[in-house]
Amino acid sequence: MIFSTELLKGTLKTIVLKMLSDTDRMYGYEITQRVKELTGDKIQITEGALYPTLHALEKDGLVTTQIEYLGKRQRKYYLISKAGKGAAKERVNEFTEFAQTIATLLDIKTNMA
Amino acid sequence: MYCITEEQIEFILNDIRRNGIETEDLQYNLLDHICCIIEQSIREGDHFEDVYRQVIKQFYKTELKEIEVETQYLLTFKNYYVMKKLMMISGAFSAFVLLVGSIFKIMHWPGAGILLVSGIASFSLFFLPILFLLKAKELKSANDKWILGLGVAMGALLCLSAMFKVMHWPGANIMWIVGLGVSSLLLLPLYFLNGISNPDKKLNTIVTTFILIGVLGVLLTLTQIGKSPADKTAYEQQHVER
Repeated sequence: MIFSTELLKGTLKTIVLKMLSDTDRMYGYEITQRVKELTGDKIQITEGALYPTLHALEKDGLVTTQIEYLGKRQRKYYLISKAGKGAAKERVNEFTEFAQTIATLLDIKTNMA
Repeated sequence: MYCITEEQIEFILNDIRRNGIETEDLQYNLLDHICCIIEQSIREGDHFEDVYRQVIKQFYKTELKEIEVETQYLLTFKNYYVMKKLMMISGAFSAFVLLVGSIFKIMHWPGAGILLVSGIASFSLFFLPILFLLKAKELKSANDKWILGLGVAMGALLCLSAMFKVMHWPGANIMWIVGLGVSSLLLLPLYFLNGISNPDKKLNTIVTTFILIGVLGVLLTLTQIGKSPADKTAYEQQHVER
């Protein structure tokens, strides 16, 4: 099963922040590959969702960037900032609680039916 | 591993630029991403352009520009919720303080002036401008934005002139006359003509125009009434003196 982008939308920032807080630095393509690898291809982040999110995180000061030049290409590496680390922790905690609540909620519904 | 040539890089960059990716940062991000995918997936004998077309298709639902639009949306609307909250708070504050202030004024209790001034100031200098910024983002046509801006400015001017009047500060009358004059001679006709040309907004525009004419008429009448007691006193005073 591959999860739909709609389902992922609210959690994308959390996923990206978590990925970045576990490593020194990553570039866009690397993030998508890492997520694919960790989830056994179940979660495939689309480029259309990833880059707007990365730009927003950069503007919010949650990530910083480093640019490396590969001939005519530029590779932009994303690094988590101090504020980003805090936000990652907070978001992961919030999501854990949310997931537990949803699980309880849906279980109740199934039991009632 | 397959290595992408400089001409191919140029080709990709031109293609994404042509398809609506305007932010330079985003162009280079996407370029690198596309190059990575192509380098990983291209097989011997594959044609570069065919592979590129296949790859780029995965980036969007209907067109590549979506990524640019989404990025801009996230960047510009970053403060949207903060602004909305600020608008609600300043609106509620203004309404409450104004109401209390006018009761104080009627009862001739002390503190009416400061209440009225802070209420009107926060209404015309915070609430109305934020309302304009939020609403203007929803409007697409430049004409609509100009009319909204003019309307908000005139609303703020009329409120401020009422404040000046209440506080007996100089310049209240000229502000009042400019506000009413521009509203009725420029804003109202512009609003009417702009709205009536759009079939969806036609009825709404006509009804709102009638309401606005009514409000402006009442305000004009009030200008006259507002003047008369003072004139009357002056007149009476003259009589008494004689």
